Amino acid sequence: MRRLLFFLISLGPCAPAASAVFHPLRLSLCEIEYTPGTQLLTINLKLFLTDVNEALVFDPNSKELAFCQPNEPAHADQMLLDYLDQFFYVKANGKRIDLQIKRKKLSGDGENTALGVYFEYQQQQPLASLEIKNAVFTDLFFDQNNIVYVHVNGKSKSMMLNKKTTTHQLTF
Amino acid sequence: MSQNLTLTYAVFFLFILFVNGCTTNSTTAETGTGEELIEKALAIHDRVLTVDTHADTPLRMIEPGFDMAERHDPKETGSKVDYPRMMEGGLDAIFFAAFVAQDIRDDDGNTRAKALCLQMIDSIVASTEKNSDLVGLALNPGDAYALEEAGKRAIYIGIENGYPIGKDLSNVALYFEKGVRYITLVHSSNNDLADSATDPDGTEHGGISAFGAEVVREMNRLGIMVDISHGNDSVFYDAIALSKAPIIASHSNARAVTDHKRNMTDEMLKLMAENGGVVQLTMLSNYLREAPANPKRDSAIAALRANMKPASEMTQEERRAMRKAFNEIDEKYPSPPATVEHVVDHIDHIVKVAGIDHVGIGCDFDGGGGIEGVFDASEVMNITIELVKRGYTEEQIQKIWGANLIRVFKEVQAVAEQIQSDGLS
Repeated sequence: MRRLLFFLISLGPCAPAASAVFHPLRLSLCEIEYTPGTQLLTINLKLFLTDVNEALVFDPNSKELAFCQPNEPAHADQMLLDYLDQFFYVKANGKRIDLQIKRKKLSGDGENTALGVYFEYQQQQPLASLEIKNAVFTDLFFDQNNIVYVHVNGKSKSMMLNKKTTTHQLTF
Repeated sequence: MSQNLTLTYAVFFLFILFVNGCTTNSTTAETGTGEELIEKALAIHDRVLTVDTHADTPLRMIEPGFDMAERHDPKETGSKVDYPRMMEGGLDAIFFAAFVAQDIRDDDGNTRAKALCLQMIDSIVASTEKNSDLVGLALNPGDAYALEEAGKRAIYIGIENGYPIGKDLSNVALYFEKGVRYITLVHSSNNDLADSATDPDGTEHGGISAFGAEVVREMNRLGIMVDISHGNDSVFYDAIALSKAPIIASHSNARAVTDHKRNMTDEMLKLMAENGGVVQLTMLSNYLREAPANPKRDSAIAALRANMKPASEMTQEERRAMRKAFNEIDEKYPSPPATVEHVVDHIDHIVKVAGIDHVGIGCDFDGGGGIEGVFDASEVMNITIELVKRGYTEEQIQKIWGANLIRVFKEVQAVAEQIQSDGLS
């Protein structure tokens, strides 16, 4: 299993406080990887924690969901999955992957704290196509941009998905 | 017809901007009516070479279906640069930065970063080839002038974050061959070359690493500008000491005006002047001014939250309604934006501390840049209007908008020729 140590990324200051118009670029990262040898399809989402809180509990600075903390409530993961279910999916060979959180991780600090959400999926058939939808936080910000990196069979490709272009399909 | 309406609206908007700004005129400020001043400024803007040294537009180029030859609405899509808007704004040249987010620093990660960087560079080159009637790929300082003469926009390539170099020095030459003419050594996290100004773990190399020093020397040898934006302060001092050619900050502002660690101190600005380099002003609100309070919005949000049932108990329908209510408050009470006056406040300060020969423009469009009055590439002429309003001459504006950067670029190439010549002799 590949170590995924996505560091904090931002283009510019990326202070993710909620405001409607003049604000820095809104961004998330998603890395999808498939290695035929392990038949493992992995998905790592990197989301600004303030955006997650804004999306789930309408307060960017809320401590209510306490992700990755000892007091994280039992319903936190389900709320996150319910949200992702509306705005994010990956289809492998046309079949939508059932997203189950394998682990989560916080990185960075202050307003730049990022929540990493890691998923694994056993893809036993050779991967012929991937369809990715990533419209996370486009309900919050009209200019949300979601960078997606795909690494399949030793080849890498990046794409940008957003409110206008939510979905893209790759064939291998 | 619609173009005329757009122009009429634009001139009216510029006039309003001018009138609003009149109260802050300094003693050296330009006199005359608002219309005369705008006319004068637009004529200057048209005559001088205008260069923007930093745009993350390649991120847009990898959006499926995104067409640089189409005009996009920034309020609908968030996109800040396309070729029609460069023409509307009178922006003659731009550096598109190939950006790869920092990831794991091992062979696997480095290989992937290189592949992604090459994809970005290829997308820039492909865009220039596809739109060769509008733009041209620029590789040398003189290309911007030649393309301007031909009625085309000059597209230069930079790399933001040295991560795709990995640990292989030969990649620097590869990127140069691909057309890259500056490399920002580091981004928001430390990499193998240098320390970031914003890494939560703090300094790792104490500035530029031993390998990063080799990279700087190789950039000098090839004629690639060394860009210290995003580096911590030690990276700046190390780059000044290491580089045989002048350096640039492709998108940074003045810390004395706005206290942000991505901005440069007065001591750094003075050293930049001694070095012969240039600081390119960026249009990121948080680097331009302290974010002002927004009490009306805060009160409205607090009131909404006070009457809200726990989010975990809401149905999807209730959640959607609540989201709509929050969005309406944000639209009703938007955060007070940074303005073009803030931009020129920073220019004024850098000119005062470092001199007119060491300041330029690097908007960071499509990377978070965009303020009131300079929201996208179609509005960059408003910088010129504000400069004229404050009494800057055409010669000074020419330096700010491109001549300073081109001078540094030429010196970087001259140093490279000298190094290569010395190496051969």
